[in-house]
Amino acid sequence: MAYEVVEGIKDQQFTAEQYVDSIIKRIEDVDSKIRSFITVDTEGALSSAKIIDRKIKEKEEMGSLAGVTIGIKDNISTKGIRTTCASKILEGYVPSYDATVITKLKQNGAIILGKLNLDEFGMGSTTEYSSFHSTHNPWNLDYVPGGSSGGSGAAVAAGECTVSLGSDTGGSIRCPASFCSVVGLKPTYGKVSRYGLISYANSLEQIGPICKSVKDAAIIMNIISGKDMMDNTSMNSTPIGIHSKLGKLNIAIIKELINGSDNDVTRTVYSASEKFRDIGYSCDEVSIKNVDYALPSYYTLASAEACSNLARYDNLRYGYDFPIEEYKWDAYFNNVRKNFGQEVKRRILIGSYVLSSGYYGKYYLKAKMLRSLLKSELLKLFKKYDLLIGPTMPILPFKIGEKIEDPFKMYLIDINTVLANLAGIPAISIPVGFSDGLPIGLQIMAAPFQEQKLIDASLALEDIIDIQRGPNTI
Amino acid sequence: MNLVMIGLEIHAQITALKSKLFCSCYCNYRDLRPNTNICEICSGLPGTLPLINKKAIEYATMTSVALGCKVPDKIMFYRKNYFYPDLPKNFQITQYNVYGLSSIGADGLFELDDSKKIRITRVQLEEDPGRIVYSDEGMNVRNSALVDYNRAGAALIEIVTEPDFNDPKEVRLFLNKLTLTLEHIGVCDTLLEGAIRCDVNVSMKGGNKVEIKNINSFKEVEKAINYEVTRQTNMYNRNLKIENETRHWDDRKKITFKARSKEEEHDYRYFPEPDIPVIVLGNNFVSNLRGYMPELPNERFTRYLSKYKLTEHTSNILINDKKLADFFESCVKIYFSPVEIANVLITDLKSFIDKDSESTDYLNNMKVTPEHIAELVKLIEGNKISRITAKDILIKIAESGVSPAEILNSTNSFKIDDEKTLKDTIDKIFDSEPSAVNDARNNPEAINFLLGKVMKFTKGRADPKIAADLIEGKLRKSEK
Amino acid sequence: MISIEELKYLAEISKINLTEDEIDKFPSQLNKTIEYIDILENLDSDESIALDLYEINFDELRNDIVKKSDGQPIIKNLTEEGFLRGPKMK
Repeated sequence: MAYEVVEGIKDQQFTAEQYVDSIIKRIEDVDSKIRSFITVDTEGALSSAKIIDRKIKEKEEMGSLAGVTIGIKDNISTKGIRTTCASKILEGYVPSYDATVITKLKQNGAIILGKLNLDEFGMGSTTEYSSFHSTHNPWNLDYVPGGSSGGSGAAVAAGECTVSLGSDTGGSIRCPASFCSVVGLKPTYGKVSRYGLISYANSLEQIGPICKSVKDAAIIMNIISGKDMMDNTSMNSTPIGIHSKLGKLNIAIIKELINGSDNDVTRTVYSASEKFRDIGYSCDEVSIKNVDYALPSYYTLASAEACSNLARYDNLRYGYDFPIEEYKWDAYFNNVRKNFGQEVKRRILIGSYVLSSGYYGKYYLKAKMLRSLLKSELLKLFKKYDLLIGPTMPILPFKIGEKIEDPFKMYLIDINTVLANLAGIPAISIPVGFSDGLPIGLQIMAAPFQEQKLIDASLALEDIIDIQRGPNTI
Repeated sequence: MNLVMIGLEIHAQITALKSKLFCSCYCNYRDLRPNTNICEICSGLPGTLPLINKKAIEYATMTSVALGCKVPDKIMFYRKNYFYPDLPKNFQITQYNVYGLSSIGADGLFELDDSKKIRITRVQLEEDPGRIVYSDEGMNVRNSALVDYNRAGAALIEIVTEPDFNDPKEVRLFLNKLTLTLEHIGVCDTLLEGAIRCDVNVSMKGGNKVEIKNINSFKEVEKAINYEVTRQTNMYNRNLKIENETRHWDDRKKITFKARSKEEEHDYRYFPEPDIPVIVLGNNFVSNLRGYMPELPNERFTRYLSKYKLTEHTSNILINDKKLADFFESCVKIYFSPVEIANVLITDLKSFIDKDSESTDYLNNMKVTPEHIAELVKLIEGNKISRITAKDILIKIAESGVSPAEILNSTNSFKIDDEKTLKDTIDKIFDSEPSAVNDARNNPEAINFLLGKVMKFTKGRADPKIAADLIEGKLRKSEK
Repeated sequence: MISIEELKYLAEISKINLTEDEIDKFPSQLNKTIEYIDILENLDSDESIALDLYEINFDELRNDIVKKSDGQPIIKNLTEEGFLRGPKMK
């Protein structure tokens, strides 16, 4: 846990260098099997650790995250460290600036360990769409770790870093958190700056923490949150208190989400809701009227934004090695962009389709309307209930390769998670059980900027249900 | 003849800004080494977000107001998606009104003259792309495009008119009035290279519209329109169909030619810019802005007539030269004699301007200050110097920057109005011009000759009225 | 539904070359998605609903101040004079 590391180093139980050494050794031991990382910055991490150790000796200020090793999803810009988005198109791209979240983490003494694998450009739910390699679920190496922040989920579960950052456009933090039995939080839209997050769908996505404990998630959230002048969509918000303050909360299970789920999942989630009742929370069931339109809206909006966000990748200003000599400019662009993966290409094409002349009213406008309707419906529910819960994923993790031939089937597993992105509300996934050794996560959602309620309920549940946070062997 | 309909699409850079539209890079990219005036945002680096410049919205609002447009309470930005090497993100952030009013101005009206007003369809803010320079076909160079992003992200105001023009002369008048307006608001220094461009569309009797792009200067606009009108009239007379198309102006051959069809195939896939939330201006925004916005030319014109009692002719000359008008007002602030000050400035000062130089800084280059003018006019009105002397002094001030008082002292140029000195001078002239004196006894016109001699002798300093009276008096005396 | 011609058109405006395999597979894959999002047609248009979820006040926007950038954001493919060398235009 992050707070244990910080304490340990401050109390001089071990040095930062020793800790980082142990992490690097762990990566060496297991990453050839799990394959969470795209880039490991051993040198940088050790040098940061040495600086912390020197500061301890000289009794200097260290920062509240001193010694914590963080893996960063490889779509978040890190100055001087290759940032690829798991795409051939950005194979050689080294950013000249740090994302705001990175700056904040560094300012607080965190050690940037390396860049974690993802589905290319964040598009996918299993990390199988990475153009480098797939990541394997530490609980069962034949299984997917979830996506698109699969590397972030797997690395934390396997102990390859203390905590990690992921990004969540339609569930990309929560899905791997659920599949890897760790905690993943998607903040309220605007709570965390997106400056430096390489855009897939700008109106839907947020950067958030993936950690072994709820407390770690809250600590990281407090560091990375805040209005940023480099991001006009970011807003100010109050820090999250780490000790449960709010007492008994009113929660409701969303019927449609639980009805669409596998039996094992349903059973485990109902049993978690019982635990809430045990501690005095009231627990109802509610229905969401427009839930059937949510996933189609999500894919419409996300694809539309993606096709535009990815237009800049023409290899002129940055990218990979591809000589300009042979081609006229438009043929050059076409050939460079041939190297997008198939899923990225599909989404770009769908995006161009829904935005093309004549279709704007049919798809895009309708999708936007659904967002407003959904948000308004959820806000009404949040007047009555503090939290809305349900399974994070409707199914258990599945085998690598199982769904890849049918991209459409893959889309359907996002059905529970996209609601929070469409409405811009915060959502957390916490581990609540296993079935056949495969993790199951509970998703909790709250009204905008009510992360405190998520943390409170999650801390309460964590106290009662003791879920194993990392596999014993890999 | 109302057979021809012409509409305009004008792009004016907001040269008054310090920074670009969406980032803090310097806005004036001219004369800088290529690709040095760029940052992560305007070069479109992954993960960067646009940060709109507040001042740009203010200037665009002023322009909308000057063009009689409605300004909405909330504005939005859209993405126009297309690929081109000078476009760092391969989309342009602009405004778009098709799905609802989002731009900074719409539905305006601009007075062309007493009988005609031009409807302004919309005013919008958008970013400039970079520049492509085509490299020469040198020995080693393989004919590649050279791109410079220094200009990418500079703020543009786009002004679109309805096709209300029927004649290229009207277009010229409009463009002159528009540039004057932009200058008066202070939004755009239209003399800067590339600061303002105009595309046109021409159609016959409401038929298919032909757009003409690539017109490099306002001088070429009239020529392009004339050519196109002729071309379309010919086709019309021969019953040939005029296609909806985009043509380019070739300013060497002086013709329009059909642009490559690829450029017409753009499906721009407009949608709202997700990184810029809807901007709430508020309902007091425009009224507040009007409070501190610079005066519009026609407002200033009216004020010159009513407050300063200048003639329309004089006011027009001043209004059409904003720097001179500003200078005029500085003078009047020091010494309230607007008619005389205007007189000195227009009649005397303006004639010093080197007409070839077209320097916008002529007032700065001459060393004349408002204090100088004020002092000069005080002297004229106090009858201390004649108007002719004043003009001479003005030349000296322009060259040296020395004050009128100092020049007067050093050159002894004060007006001569005391009778004794004048009488002495007149006596001298009478003695040296006996035949003229004789003529003058019979012919009053000849008195002017004598007066002229007196003025010449006194180097213009003599008070002509007093001198004339004295001459007449002396002639009468001598008759007796 | 998307035909091969439409697919090629979309690929061209998105500036993406497709492989033979993709030209073959994509129409049916994309059509599944399009069929799925067609359901949005059934959503009743509600004129009263505000479409745009996020707003910002004019006062919160960036002031017109120049800041020189620290790094050199573009270093790839520059000529001696500093131009970015791009592929030929014609």
